[in-house]
Amino acid sequence: MARVAQRAPWVSAIGWGAARFLPIGLLLAAWELLSHSGAVTPFMLPSIEAVVARIARDAGTGELAVNLGLTLYRSLLGFAIAAVAGIALGLFISRSAVVRWFFDPVISVGFPMPKIAFLPIVVLWLGFYDVSRITMVVSDAIFPVVTATIAGIQGVEREVLWSARNLGASERRLQWEIVLPAALPQILTGLQVALPIALIVDIVAEMIMGGYGIGGAMATASRFADSRGVFAGLVEIAIVGFCLVKAMMLVRRRLLLWHPEALDAANG
Amino acid sequence: MTAKIVVDSVNHLYRPPRGRPVLALENISLDIREREFIALLGPSGCGKSTLLYLMGGFLPIETGAITVDGKPVVAPGPDRGIVFQHFALFPWKTVRANVTYGLERQGLPRAEREARAQRFIDMVGLTGFEDSYPSQLSGGMKQRAAIARTLAIDPDVLLMDEPFGALDAQTRHLMQTELLAIWQRSPKTVIFVTHDVQEAVYLAERVAVMSARPGRIKAIVDTRFDKNDPAVHKSQPFVDKVDELWGLVREEAIKAEQREAP
Amino acid sequence: MKAFVRYSPLLLIALAWEISSRLGLVSTLTLPALSDVVAAWFDLAKSGDLVANAATSLWRGSIGLLLSIFVGGALGIGMAWWRPLNVLLGPLVELFYPMPKSALIPVTVLWLGFGDGSKILLIFLGCMLPVTIGAFNGARGCDRMLVWSVRSMGASRVRALWDVVLPSAAPELLNGIRSALALTFVLLVSSELIQARSGLGYLIGFLGGGGVYDAMFAVVLTVALLGFLADRLYLVAMRRVLIWRE
Repeated sequence: MARVAQRAPWVSAIGWGAARFLPIGLLLAAWELLSHSGAVTPFMLPSIEAVVARIARDAGTGELAVNLGLTLYRSLLGFAIAAVAGIALGLFISRSAVVRWFFDPVISVGFPMPKIAFLPIVVLWLGFYDVSRITMVVSDAIFPVVTATIAGIQGVEREVLWSARNLGASERRLQWEIVLPAALPQILTGLQVALPIALIVDIVAEMIMGGYGIGGAMATASRFADSRGVFAGLVEIAIVGFCLVKAMMLVRRRLLLWHPEALDAANG
Repeated sequence: MTAKIVVDSVNHLYRPPRGRPVLALENISLDIREREFIALLGPSGCGKSTLLYLMGGFLPIETGAITVDGKPVVAPGPDRGIVFQHFALFPWKTVRANVTYGLERQGLPRAEREARAQRFIDMVGLTGFEDSYPSQLSGGMKQRAAIARTLAIDPDVLLMDEPFGALDAQTRHLMQTELLAIWQRSPKTVIFVTHDVQEAVYLAERVAVMSARPGRIKAIVDTRFDKNDPAVHKSQPFVDKVDELWGLVREEAIKAEQREAP
Repeated sequence: MKAFVRYSPLLLIALAWEISSRLGLVSTLTLPALSDVVAAWFDLAKSGDLVANAATSLWRGSIGLLLSIFVGGALGIGMAWWRPLNVLLGPLVELFYPMPKSALIPVTVLWLGFGDGSKILLIFLGCMLPVTIGAFNGARGCDRMLVWSVRSMGASRVRALWDVVLPSAAPELLNGIRSALALTFVLLVSSELIQARSGLGYLIGFLGGGGVYDAMFAVVLTVALLGFLADRLYLVAMRRVLIWRE
């Protein structure tokens, strides 16, 4: 039998880990080189150490914690409301013809609209408070949740419902124990779409309305031509976005242990 | 008789994206004669399709050599047409556009392409479905379209990778008879991969039985019969041949089955 | 008739809006009557303000989106087709894709100022990754046997890329472009609301700042309608292109 040459598993594991971080390292190196090369002014592209120093300073004064906390509070509260209300609305629309009749055109027209354009109206009604920002977040993030819930419920196999009824499940139990879990993969996909939307909308609302929050801080920095402040905000928000999206993926994996996709992920 | 295709001591390592490489083919040597219909028979995972892909030039040959007409195989080419189990039709092209595609690549003028495509569409019995998309066809019709597409470029060698494996039993039987008729009319060198013993015995002149992983040639069995006899399936020599091959494949299938179990 | 029944809830909402402001249930200061908004829309259209600003916005949006489609599509297909490119760019795409795109607004203003350039750059950067990911997933899902088929019919590797990989990627690529289209409107309007001297978003802010609420409502509804129509038109075109999937 022919010999099979084989590398030790840990060698290839380290190789792959390095390969994943190498491009990020290259990007940072390019940033650093470019900012020191004199080809661009520090105003256009401040150096990494200047931006890091700025973030450290903001962290020291507590400003970072306040801004970060407010941004997370607004976007995540809005996201949570959108999730709960969206799933509930999706359930109602699937179950009741009247609710469906009313909301179907509202959703099909409202989903593709750039709802951010309504922000000045919302501010006019609700004022320059968090409630305006959160309302904007909810009104944008709820659409993918509702449509995903409806699609997920529609996709539940008839045979599954029939056998559950056959085994004596009541309608109420059917909704909670069969329909929602079966629709869960789709619902989670909807939530995964809604989360970045919630962040985008909250940042925009903060920029337009000003005040505290990372978006607000970036808008202020931009107004005073404080480029370090702008880049500090960009780095902070990129990290927050990355962590939230990754956390959402972990939640999905945890909730869908029974689903074939979990197996695929495990087998790589 | 001269050999059309020579497979000389070929090994093949399968490297999964993660995990250790697996020896898929071990020391395969095989001479295939001009205009011969040969079947590669074995349990699933024995590497018979891999061997076919190596002949097609789709996978790199790392050790050993494969020559067609004395020239080593290095890349895919129109001298070796292929038909896949799952058809590999272009879903975004109509049946006609699927069949003319290869002719276009060969630089045939438009009128000639159309005429030639129509001839092969008629031959496989798809007249009237020229403008249908593959998604509108049944499995059997899809495979007819795929066969027409490959035959239209008139390859010397026809590589068939379990072409009827995805069809229902009746359609499969019908397609076997038709393939045999096409081959008898214009004999090409056909290499036919299958795990169906009956199919191999019925279609092929020789059957190469392969062992479970690592794939090796376990035996080569002569299977020439009067295939035009409508009762050939029930004739004693045919039944005996099927039994003999079944015996050879059976042990390998059991080995493969045991290995597959987690 | 069917369409009328289907969309009657929207008519009901419009009616409720008109009645509640006419009857004084809500202040016309915060919710001008629908009829006043429509009248304001015609005034704006006649004065030319609406058309000029809409043209500016649509120009910015379409250039940015087109750039992102070409660059993002090429990157995504390239990453699926050529492994080294995937190793190089994959981690960067993964890192930047979740970033809230609106955070780029102040940066593009820093680089290119308040004019068209910063809006186009913003939309290009913001929309590129959704297109890249759509193209990558679509091209990666391309059936290997299809590539082999065309290669065995005499197509070169580059030819196979064009004839097989690109059409295979089309469904997911077109879906990616659809998200990018929606994102284009969001980024366009928000950046114009925040820092601009022209465009529909700017007009909304300008009218709102001046307290001309019926006109502001008119422009807001125009933007919403444009976004909706763009999506519907795109959907019709996309169904045309993907007719073979039926």
